[in-house]
Amino acid sequence: MNTDVREERLIITSDIHMGNRLFPPNRSFGELARLALRNGYSLCINGDGVDVIQMSFSLLTRQLGDAATIFKKFPHAGLKIYYTVGNHDLIFEHFLQDWGGVVVVPFINVESGERRIRVEHGHMYDDNFLSYPRVYTAIMVLGRWAISIHPRVYEGLEGANAAVVSFGHFLKRVKGVPVEPELPDGIPGEHPTFRLAAEEISVRGFDAVVFGHTHRPGKVRLQSGGMYYNTGAWMMKPYCVAIDEGRIWFGPVEELLSTPLHALPWTRVAADAPAPAPAAEEAVEAGGAEVAAGALAAGSTLRFRGVG
Amino acid sequence: MKMPRFAEIEEYRDGDIIVRDGDEERHMYVIQHGKVAVTKDVGGREVTLAILERGAFFGEMALLESLPRTATVRALGYAKLLVIRPGSLLMRIRRDPTLALEMLQQMSRRIRAIDDRLVALLSNVGVPEQQAHEVKLFTTHTEYGGPRSADESAAAGAQQDGAAPNRAAAAPGKVPPPRAASDGAGVPG
Repeated sequence: MNTDVREERLIITSDIHMGNRLFPPNRSFGELARLALRNGYSLCINGDGVDVIQMSFSLLTRQLGDAATIFKKFPHAGLKIYYTVGNHDLIFEHFLQDWGGVVVVPFINVESGERRIRVEHGHMYDDNFLSYPRVYTAIMVLGRWAISIHPRVYEGLEGANAAVVSFGHFLKRVKGVPVEPELPDGIPGEHPTFRLAAEEISVRGFDAVVFGHTHRPGKVRLQSGGMYYNTGAWMMKPYCVAIDEGRIWFGPVEELLSTPLHALPWTRVAADAPAPAPAAEEAVEAGGAEVAAGALAAGSTLRFRGVG
Repeated sequence: MKMPRFAEIEEYRDGDIIVRDGDEERHMYVIQHGKVAVTKDVGGREVTLAILERGAFFGEMALLESLPRTATVRALGYAKLLVIRPGSLLMRIRRDPTLALEMLQQMSRRIRAIDDRLVALLSNVGVPEQQAHEVKLFTTHTEYGGPRSADESAAAGAQQDGAAPNRAAAAPGKVPPPRAASDGAGVPG
């Protein structure tokens, strides 16, 4: 598996969750893939592209079939599709290799122009996923059954989860225990450990770090001077990162589709640039209700550890 | 909210020596910015073994094996390096598990490159193909990362306790090719 790649042009998105009834990919994913193909950009699906755990087979068959029709054109155009494995498609770790047109990897280190960018789903930095893998998976499977009964049942579970987390925070405050560790701010609504992970990675010579997993889109300048981007999830307003010869653009997919590429506000990020003090943070408000609805579905921000 | 300090960074100017052949230091480096040159004194002549670029590691063999440095590394232009000390390696891997995978990948590339060069070298001096292949099999299972016997581990431990390091045994054939932009280089630690 080769994780060091040189791609002058690459579009990155994540958390499409094909096959999950709660995440019906709208037309624009196919449009995004076609835009990439037309303009000579390789494509990276940064994890949870296919929702193996919470999928409906019939829905997955339709959605995957549509995507495959477009994907097979990429190698003919000399382009690649990188698929970084996430927690909802973890089984793809058994297929970590170059399959010709599609490269399945745990992460990629992209060299573009003079820049190095790490692209990784981010679930490996989720304390809940790492510390309680069985409980985490069980909750995702439970979510699948809830979705298959009715989405309202699933929403009920989300509400129960939120109540458990709030109760846990209340108990901690009563005991005088800090609710959250003193960690630097990241993208609002996202656990700070993801920004910390981005910091850890960026000091190894990366100008930018791109995660998914948390379903919270946004960008943050890191202490190293580089940038951390999160492309959120497609159940809400889909976001993406575009890379062009070392320049980076981050924003909603619909903006990328409706704006000529040369007219986008590209930026050059560099990790050796001095970080402003205090660190500037920009985050995107994806809508509180939508964010909450998406969180438990991915299991990405499950807070059951907040109890006690 | 103040950022916790978690990275030890060192900066070097053009020509500064970062590690010196024979030094007893045990920490490794990751190139955050810039380039470095790995050189070795061969018969009184300084030979450049590799040019390492951003993201590459060096010094990890000294950290992992607790043996002296086997090459000199100096900065080419301004260089900024992340320092990883033996005591912090495991914690750093825990926080950034891809570091371990990338180290394995780079070292795997170096072993492959060294093996290929060794076979080519032996072929050039007229050693039959089969014997060259047998040498390659031998080297991949001893000094070049294969499992060690208890005797070999004990011998390495004796070296750490102050016995004179057997440089010849420690570094046979470790002449890595220069690193390409996307390839790891065999770099003596």
